Amino acid sequence: MLGKLDWSAIPFDQPIPLIAGGVVLAGILAVLIWVVVKGHLPYLWHEWITSVDHKRIGVMYILLASVMLLRGGSDAIMMRIQQAIAYQSQGYLPPEHYNQIFSAHGTIMIFFVAMPFVIGLMNLVVPLQLGVRDVAFPTLNSVGFWLTATGALLVNLSLVIGEFARTGWLAFPPLSELSYSPGVGVDYYAWSLQISGVGTLVAGINLVTTVLKLRTKGMNYLRMPMFCWTTLASNLLIVAAFPILTATLAMLLLDRYLGFHFFTNEAGGNVMMFMNLIWAWGHPEVYILVLPAFGIYSEVVSTFSSKPLFGYRSMVLATMAICIISFMVWLHHFFTMGAGPDVNAIFGIASMIIAVPTGVKIYNWLFTMYGGRIRFATPMLWSVGFMVTFIIGGLTGVLVAVPPADFMLHNSMFLVAHFHNVIIGGVLFAAFAGFEYWFPKAFGFRLDERWGKVGFWFTFIGFWVTFMPLYVVGMLGMTRRMQHYDVAEWRPWMLVAAFGMLLLTIGVLAQITQVVVSVRNREALRDRTGDPWDGRSLEWATSSPPPVFNFAFYPDVRGEDAYWALKQHAQEQQLGDHSGPEYQDIEMPRNSPTGFVCAFFATVMGFALIWHIWWMVILGGVGAFATFVVFAWRDHDEYVIPAAEVERIDRINVEERRNLVSLAGTL
Amino acid sequence: MTMTATLGHAHADPHHIGRAAEHPGPAPKRIVTAYGFWVFLLSDIVMFSCFFAAYAVLSGQTAGGPKGSEIFDQRNVAIETVCLLLSSFTCGMASVAADVRNRFWFYLGMAVTCVLGLIFLAIEFKEFADLVGRGYGPSRSAFLTAFFSLVGCHGLHVSAGVLWLLTMMAQVFAKGFRADVLRRMMCFALFWHALDIIWVGVFSVVYLLGGGA
Amino acid sequence: MSDQTHMHVEHDLAPGEEEQHSVGERILGYVVGLGLALLLTATSFFIAGTDLVWQPSIPVALIVLAIAQMGVHLVFFLHITTGPDNTNNVLALAFGLLIVFLVVGGTVWIMAHLNQNMPPMDQFIQMHS
Repeated sequence: MLGKLDWSAIPFDQPIPLIAGGVVLAGILAVLIWVVVKGHLPYLWHEWITSVDHKRIGVMYILLASVMLLRGGSDAIMMRIQQAIAYQSQGYLPPEHYNQIFSAHGTIMIFFVAMPFVIGLMNLVVPLQLGVRDVAFPTLNSVGFWLTATGALLVNLSLVIGEFARTGWLAFPPLSELSYSPGVGVDYYAWSLQISGVGTLVAGINLVTTVLKLRTKGMNYLRMPMFCWTTLASNLLIVAAFPILTATLAMLLLDRYLGFHFFTNEAGGNVMMFMNLIWAWGHPEVYILVLPAFGIYSEVVSTFSSKPLFGYRSMVLATMAICIISFMVWLHHFFTMGAGPDVNAIFGIASMIIAVPTGVKIYNWLFTMYGGRIRFATPMLWSVGFMVTFIIGGLTGVLVAVPPADFMLHNSMFLVAHFHNVIIGGVLFAAFAGFEYWFPKAFGFRLDERWGKVGFWFTFIGFWVTFMPLYVVGMLGMTRRMQHYDVAEWRPWMLVAAFGMLLLTIGVLAQITQVVVSVRNREALRDRTGDPWDGRSLEWATSSPPPVFNFAFYPDVRGEDAYWALKQHAQEQQLGDHSGPEYQDIEMPRNSPTGFVCAFFATVMGFALIWHIWWMVILGGVGAFATFVVFAWRDHDEYVIPAAEVERIDRINVEERRNLVSLAGTL
Repeated sequence: MTMTATLGHAHADPHHIGRAAEHPGPAPKRIVTAYGFWVFLLSDIVMFSCFFAAYAVLSGQTAGGPKGSEIFDQRNVAIETVCLLLSSFTCGMASVAADVRNRFWFYLGMAVTCVLGLIFLAIEFKEFADLVGRGYGPSRSAFLTAFFSLVGCHGLHVSAGVLWLLTMMAQVFAKGFRADVLRRMMCFALFWHALDIIWVGVFSVVYLLGGGA
Repeated sequence: MSDQTHMHVEHDLAPGEEEQHSVGERILGYVVGLGLALLLTATSFFIAGTDLVWQPSIPVALIVLAIAQMGVHLVFFLHITTGPDNTNNVLALAFGLLIVFLVVGGTVWIMAHLNQNMPPMDQFIQMHS
């Protein structure tokens, strides 16, 4: 009846996951009870859960990423503590638990923190920057988000029901095959990634189509803000790379469930093919994450330097070059597997070539700042911090792209330091910069600068203190994923790294405080004009938060930095008056519970597949199909906002803007 | 939503040899939907390419089991191929019928497409059942693993296509040729034709190349 | 790149959509496509089973025929053309094909090298016994 599931799946004998899971469960229950008792449930359901508004979905993505950042961060703290005390002792985490933690940490941080964070920002900002009212497929967008959330839910479920994979974040066979990992850990891993992978693919298709097919009048390709370009490149990579992940994990699952022989040791299966295929996805994935990050920095640096982005066209070219070359370097993840000199050499050279467009970008940002009137607001701090940090990460990356050097450094702590250097210094800093930068747009008030700066400095210094020692111990020969060790030279560095982790934790707490403080002071921090940073692109041309239809009229774009040009024009004319065409009715897509219901059935199906509850699998599958049929059968998929309402909403913002322009005129 | 099927415009400069044009604004929904589905198809083809790659790598690993030439039946494959080709044709007829709002020809075209698809699936199922019955199931060797997955993955797509096809017919029956139904029909036609293209790869690489040696 | 990327915008076709044609012309297009596809398929099956051609040329011929037939499907069934209104569709297709080529080609190439240098266990045993 319940497949492999019985009471032994609950880890009563392991206090740490049980208590952690219990606390989380209690927290979720408390929030739920609060929501129901306070009567917020209808609001949540109508305004958020069933919303197909790209801004709301973006915010929910970022919320999911932030919550999962705390989960993944807790894993990181546990690992740093373990390695700090596990010198000539077992530490406090038994090996099978420690292995689950580093596997969960990697999986969560990449798939459920970095991915949703950048996808959330793209969702929130890109339609606004393109000057349009929604993404290409609003309902599918909601489906994509909820499927991602399903994946996150399943990963966290493994904390209390069963176990998570102990195989590292990419579940290399033969260790991940049934003979060596007979538990449900790898199944949790694979099914949650399959389900959230579908969500990611949907988001990718949606955003590619949005950028290519939905742009306002006059928004030619070479007038798009840089973030739109990097969104296009990143989502093209999603569309091209995620199917590879899906196929590879499907092969692994076929091995595990039906006794196939893709990656087994027996019957001619080939373990090396898994490394090959998974990295054919894995390397583009790196650029899926970091390209939007580059876009965020471009927007922030240009805004806070009050200058157009230096070398816009070279930036576009560099972005698209990275998009293509990122598919030609995947072998550098397994130089040591022994492909031989010619193969290794070619992939090594390609890996060094891909650093060139990245270098071009760094120079472009520096030249954008050069001669600019720089304001060191929090988003700008993150961007400058990124440049300093990322260069180190990039250089060590070029170092490990040299096959002979890689033979020494492969799977060492040096590598761990390298990829944290680029992912934290590149992606996470960008996520925070984007968060600070676009928060006023999403919610209508700015974030507290003082706490933001405290958060930045603790995180920035904490990062260096945590990860520079890992480079050193890597050079001293420490391999990654060690549960305990007895080399005396490593010990002091691990203690320093643990101290760095403390600083990072304080940084995160400061950022949480920042949000709380800002929410309490929101009236003082209110952004009335919709343009708190003196911005340059179209998202600042509408109010904060934008009305559901984003723009009352499709903006007419005449050049790069569309909104900046508009403002210049308005100031010269000394008028902000709006003698545009008549307001018109606007049709917007209706909300739909399709995404949520579909994700519910996906959760049921995923859980059933993990525990081999076959009747429930069929139930979930039929339910998901039925959901789509019901959706396809609906007769009205749009509702109309009458022209008078559009005018009323738009007038308020126009009035505020007129005040701003006349104020600027007097200064 | 305005969904007039605006096809080619009369234009003084049909090949845009002149200056770059100003972007006219968001594309109509029909183009947006079909383009999105086009991008999905490309991603689907990339997924198939992984199974093709796996087949290429593992096709020699018979682990003492049968080779391709010992188990493939060229006649069956030829019938399957003809079924799919004809179904692609009838699917095209159904989309023409949908565009001119002709219910009779639409139902006929879709029904024939469905029957041809089912015949294809039946033959494939029989082939698989036969092989498993002889002890040559996918767990016999890595070669058979790759073979069953690649061909089976295509078969699953065809099954999904048949399910979609029936849903489409029911939807036209219930809702008529509404704009959103026509958009879905367009996507379905793209899907079905794409499956045919993948089948060309499958029968060439798996059955003909693998069956010859 | 700028000139090319600007070009498509004035008018645009959805993938699979045809330029304006009468019903008769459209059906004719499908008939021609079906005829060519059947012809190419028949040639493939014939070549695979025959002794009349030089044997080592068969795999190449099969691959060429398969690619030709895919082209026929793209043109006659999916209505992909080189026209400017199809630029975006073709670019997306080209990107997809590039990835397919890289994944399949790269995998075959890499795995051939790996298998030679680091043979799978059973071959290793065969080689050393």
